[in-house]
Amino acid sequence: MCGIVGYLDRSGSVDAPVGAKVLGMLEALACRGPDSSGIALWGAPAEGLVLRVKVGEQGDPARAREILRLAGRHGRVQARATGASIIRFEIAKADAGALAAAIEAVASGVEVVSMGRQLQIVKRVGAPTNLEAEFGVSHMTGTHGIGHTRLSTESRVDLSHSQPFWAHGTPDLAVVHNGHITNYHRLRRGYEQEGVRFYTENDSEVIGVYLARQLARGASLQEALEASVRDLDGSFSYLAATPDEFGYAKDPYCLKPLLVGERDEAVALANEEIAIHAALPGAYRAREAGAAAVGVWAIPRRARHAGRSAGRREIAGRGLDGPGVLR
Amino acid sequence: MTVIDCEGRSLREVNGAIRRAIAGGETEILVRHPGARHNLAVAILEGVRITIDGPVGYYCGGMSDGVRLEIRGSAGWGVAECLMSGTVVVEGNAGNGAAASIRGGTVAIRGHAGARAGIAMKGGQLLIGGDCGYMTGFMMQRGRIVVCGNAGPAVADSMYEGVIYVGGEIAALGNDAVVAEASADELADLRAVLTQHGIRGPGRFRKIVSGRKLWNYDKKELDVWRAAF
Repeated sequence: MCGIVGYLDRSGSVDAPVGAKVLGMLEALACRGPDSSGIALWGAPAEGLVLRVKVGEQGDPARAREILRLAGRHGRVQARATGASIIRFEIAKADAGALAAAIEAVASGVEVVSMGRQLQIVKRVGAPTNLEAEFGVSHMTGTHGIGHTRLSTESRVDLSHSQPFWAHGTPDLAVVHNGHITNYHRLRRGYEQEGVRFYTENDSEVIGVYLARQLARGASLQEALEASVRDLDGSFSYLAATPDEFGYAKDPYCLKPLLVGERDEAVALANEEIAIHAALPGAYRAREAGAAAVGVWAIPRRARHAGRSAGRREIAGRGLDGPGVLR
Repeated sequence: MTVIDCEGRSLREVNGAIRRAIAGGETEILVRHPGARHNLAVAILEGVRITIDGPVGYYCGGMSDGVRLEIRGSAGWGVAECLMSGTVVVEGNAGNGAAASIRGGTVAIRGHAGARAGIAMKGGQLLIGGDCGYMTGFMMQRGRIVVCGNAGPAVADSMYEGVIYVGGEIAALGNDAVVAEASADELADLRAVLTQHGIRGPGRFRKIVSGRKLWNYDKKELDVWRAAF
């Protein structure tokens, strides 16, 4: 199962109540994934990099202090907040890769859960209500967000195996997935031979690694998602986003659900309509995505590009505007 | 008419209220605020009229026999699956597996249908006002599917019997699906049935039937089998 949701506020304001929207959608899909829940949200750009670091499954104040001390060697550590299991801080001007490596060397359970100027990921074991209690996500604002409720089928249930997955090493890119990537082990072996580190045994983690490498080669998100439909095997509906774009991809056999709900002021994606209904009360257009369908929306920027609205770029004859075409 | 509001009620309470109304002799039921919840109005075995005023989740109206159900919104996966007789009308779009395994009755979707619409149909008819998705009519055994818009890939794959009419483009025929000539009588009948269910069809339709090559194994047709499996 697993619940996946996504919400894009088309107003272009970084102060849109996206946290509350995504939380409401996740609560509607809580029954699809009782094991863990999480939200990735893209908000106002920070001066430097914002990091959320898992201190350990249980939390450890001494270790948290050690992480902050080490981070301070890489740049000036600003606003910080410590939660039970995740600490958040902002660091001005740092080499992202070296910083993450240094932090993760503190202890084996330490993991940088998210990094970016706009991306923030919060996740934990249990229902979305716990997410609200620990992180107050309903007060988080931004332009868009994605969320996940997990029903574990193969790998263990803990914070690291929860979604959304940050694409380690690529600031601001995150993914949520419903389904099963059946060529995961083959893909992972190939990436590991190239030196990529995997943090979990969760097959969904490979999607972020795949997209990060596509984007690093210069592919657009649209191109990366299209390529993934060919290269990933198995059943999948997944959502991926960066500060500039927000999209989905669906497997060629339509084995997993994904509904696209739209209204002039927002886009809501979810694998059950009950979540879209929660995000868009009243009338909206909703349609099941087709075989091998890919959709990408540009994030409007009210401040930077006045008057530009979130357009949908989708390939003709595929996705929502026509029947899916098997490639 | 009995009005049942879903708000503040569990699914079991809603379906229980529908059942109690029917047991009390009610023939007209209006279900309000369905909120896209799953399994609404399932296994209705009486010829009552049920209107659901909004979107529904998965399996709405499934396992029913004789019901006259109207959904004033969209429907999730498996709407009206295993319908034995009666009518299920969806005003909006439907998810995957619409009218799966129905044995009789009519399922009319005024909008678009997702993948595997009418999979393993054993009778009855499925009318789709818009497009249909991947593998519509897969392993269909009897009955008819009418698609007014475009058909997705692998339409009519491995069908045994039955007929699929497509008004728009066909992305790709499925294994052992062949295009046949539709008679003037058939087309006139299609138009009448579509009009009866509030769907405006196109002027022309292509008819797809089973090529029957997969009925029996023939080693000379090994390639067909290879493609099918």
